[in-house]
Amino acid sequence: MSKLKIEMEVNQRKVSRETEPQKRLLDFLRDDLNLTGAKEGCGAGECGTCSVFVDGKLVKSCLMPVAKASGCKVETIEGLATPGQLTPVQKAFHKTGASQCGYCIPGMVMAATSALRQNPDAGIEEIKERLGGNICRCTGYTKIFEAVELARAVIAGDMPEAGLEEDAVGASYIGANVRRLDAPSKVSGRLKYAADMKMPEMLQMQVLRSPHAHARIISIDTSAAEAMEGVACVITAADVPGQDGFGVFVHDQPVMARDKVRHVGEAVAAVAAEDLLTARRALSKIKVVYEELPGVFDPLYAMEKDAPLVHDYAQNNVVKHIPVRKGDTAAGFAAADLILEDKFSTQQVEHAYLEPEAGIAYVDADDVVVVISPSQNITHHRHMLSAIIDKPINKVRFIMSPVGGGFGGKEDMIYQGMLALAAMKTHRPVQLNFTREESIIASSKRHPSQVHYKMGLTNDGRITAIEFSMLSDGGAYGMSSEGVMRKAAILSCGPYEVENLTVDTTAVYTNNTPSGAFRTFGGMQAQFATESMMDMAAEALGIDPFEIRRVNMMKIGSRTHTQQALTTASLDRVLDAAQAASRWEPGAPTVRGALRGDLGGPDTRAPCTLGARIKQTGPSGNKEKVA
Amino acid sequence: MERKLRGRGVAASWYGIARTATIDRAGSWAELDDGGTAKIVTGVTEIGEGILTLLAQVAADELGIKPSQVTIGDNDTARSPEAAHAGATRQTYMIGNSVALASREAKKALFEQIADHWGVEIDALRSFDGEVWASDTNLRMTMQEAVATCKARGVVPVGSASFTAHGTGLDPVDGSGSPWQAYVFGTQVAEVEVDTYTGEVQVLGIWAVHDVGRAINPRGVEGQIEGGVVQGLGQALMEDYQTEKGHTTTHGFAKYILPTSLDIPQINCTIVEDPDPLSPLGAKGIGEPALVPTVPAIMNAIYDAIGVRMKSLPATPEKILSALRARNASQAVTPGPAVEEIAGTQRGA
Repeated sequence: MSKLKIEMEVNQRKVSRETEPQKRLLDFLRDDLNLTGAKEGCGAGECGTCSVFVDGKLVKSCLMPVAKASGCKVETIEGLATPGQLTPVQKAFHKTGASQCGYCIPGMVMAATSALRQNPDAGIEEIKERLGGNICRCTGYTKIFEAVELARAVIAGDMPEAGLEEDAVGASYIGANVRRLDAPSKVSGRLKYAADMKMPEMLQMQVLRSPHAHARIISIDTSAAEAMEGVACVITAADVPGQDGFGVFVHDQPVMARDKVRHVGEAVAAVAAEDLLTARRALSKIKVVYEELPGVFDPLYAMEKDAPLVHDYAQNNVVKHIPVRKGDTAAGFAAADLILEDKFSTQQVEHAYLEPEAGIAYVDADDVVVVISPSQNITHHRHMLSAIIDKPINKVRFIMSPVGGGFGGKEDMIYQGMLALAAMKTHRPVQLNFTREESIIASSKRHPSQVHYKMGLTNDGRITAIEFSMLSDGGAYGMSSEGVMRKAAILSCGPYEVENLTVDTTAVYTNNTPSGAFRTFGGMQAQFATESMMDMAAEALGIDPFEIRRVNMMKIGSRTHTQQALTTASLDRVLDAAQAASRWEPGAPTVRGALRGDLGGPDTRAPCTLGARIKQTGPSGNKEKVA
Repeated sequence: MERKLRGRGVAASWYGIARTATIDRAGSWAELDDGGTAKIVTGVTEIGEGILTLLAQVAADELGIKPSQVTIGDNDTARSPEAAHAGATRQTYMIGNSVALASREAKKALFEQIADHWGVEIDALRSFDGEVWASDTNLRMTMQEAVATCKARGVVPVGSASFTAHGTGLDPVDGSGSPWQAYVFGTQVAEVEVDTYTGEVQVLGIWAVHDVGRAINPRGVEGQIEGGVVQGLGQALMEDYQTEKGHTTTHGFAKYILPTSLDIPQINCTIVEDPDPLSPLGAKGIGEPALVPTVPAIMNAIYDAIGVRMKSLPATPEKILSALRARNASQAVTPGPAVEEIAGTQRGA
């Protein structure tokens, strides 16, 4: 392929390179110039992790062909301050704790810098608007807003630069707001995540994924792909030397599909090649013959007798059922003055960490198979990989690279096995970087839930009995379903002492995208239902929602739903503090919003109308708008 | 009726700390190093929550040096002791306590030598921020000198520890058991504004109150609460991974909608400290619990504002409008003034 000559000024240095014409500015910066501060979070201009300045304007470098930036002045996160120094914006991010995983942070710092360059007097509403093109999944944005306002004050001279320094410590470092030790590397874009790392002789991996939700694999022919120039190896389930299977609780998932595929996006084969493009092209030469099977997509249907089985070992497709019983539920309902019964449902949710899955594997000089990846569970992963590749534990080494957000979604070993197999087959380092689309179809989600709820209460608000049942679609593989069902069952009826309860949680296999670990691990789905019921009961009984919770709350000595005696319990203090902090106006929850006197306080924000808050600035009525 | 209606709702929550219904454990090694610095080695896995900074604070406080003087060797199954995974709101509790115990052991090794060197009782020794001294004396030296003195006497001040949390399995029939040794509680209040023309819900304020045990880094705790609240807000109002016959229809962030800066309520955090009596630090955790009460608080607030109960997540504008229409249709049999007005606004839209 003919190369393209690119000349530009990058971070005030002249740059001249021959490069492939299909490259985007982001690829050129990352691959050709090794400026990896700009990240590829989505490749579609949606997330802002790739933000840079081109001729002073904030652009998403994943949307700009490199040819279009030729001849321009480009400024990246690496160029904002001289090495070893930080700008006021970067220092402010450090000071306020505005970086957590840090993956969105280079782009966020660029957007914040742009906001203050566009309007040094920008108010908080304008700042929010100007950051609107950058997604952060960790921080809830609040510390980022604080950082930008702090930087604005320092830049404007309204606050001395000392305001950016760390607070003095008192008599102890426990309870002190010590600044994050890793923040300088994150706000300056220096920290290398797995996709930013390069090793000599490194191959690039691409994965062939199932287009079917449920199908038998009749044959896989990799010969044409293997014959291609630049292809180092092709791997399938046949390359697994040991006991194939991984999962957080049950090892039901093969490294690559074995005999059949169970969900769209499941890995079927992988190619390691000299470069990404060759690996991608080789995928199209792999011939897989499938025989489509009837699928099961509804968790209720999954438990019916005639439903197709997703895994032969699991009759009725049940992954796990957890029962919790306490007291006499029938007697409890008989003693109730009020019985409420209802249904609740929650959706599948994507973790949406800004860093798509990425990793590198190699075999070291001592024949240790090393996997570098943002794995949330390196200990368990090395156990599983040791069995899969049939090597002793000390010949398997997992190194966790900096994690660009996890939230439970990086507990599943969905690609590290493929990397290890390819490294063993080629004895070269192999790297795999997921695209956003690949991450979305191949990684687990939060369990959706359907809850049936029955609650009995006396007229004074005391719960006499609860029947709670929850059904969750676990998707094609077990992953964390067992643990999620267990935690949902244990926490189900909320922080209340309930004498009589019957709780059942069940997860089933289907041919949907698998559900797995996600921050709260089932606790949120269950307590959404419980806390809705508490308010519905409070309205029916004419009791203030704080009061009905106090009537039932767990205290020291209370027995939990699993009959554990609590030796500590702080809900009384927590409720009091919440009532005071929110200036709660007492009253039953009877749709009294319009009558409330506690709304719109200084501790709330103003409602927003999109685009309304960018001021016309500049001497010539600068028309700059954030799209 | 006004087009835009506001309301408030509250929800409480609870959560268990560390691995569920099983024994949890975490190991670490500590060494007071040359120059009065320290090495802490543990298989901890930072995923952005700030655990490395927290461990540096814990080690610094236990050893008597500065957090910036602590080097943490982490994240490597072949070079560090097992500390298990990043999840289950366990890292502060499990690894924080493990590091505290290992640091105490390293400091004890150092203090034994310094006490002997000075001829004082070991219990009289103190250290903080890089200084070592004996109470009620003029004896004082820097940590750098203390480590050099210790090593000159032939001792490298090292320590190691394993911290255990004793959860028990659940009975397979009635589920009885003690899944955790530490619990946390939380409560959040939400204030919302609902646009009855468009169905859009804006969350204007959240008051988040959480017991975290002892707060080691309050700003870090706030960061976890704010992040959890916003993930809860996303789940409550917009995020929805959808499939048709197993094929996703939400392939990327253009279809899978996430909260951005304009969706963020003012989040008012209150930290309640009810220290854990079973562990040296007294800290518990906050990563996951922060997200639990957000969704029901928002749904209860929506009900307070417009009188429709959203039982199916997410409460998208389409679902809110449809619920309002259904409510109005059912109330149309005996129309009151408010219903007439809502019907009017619907036609107006």
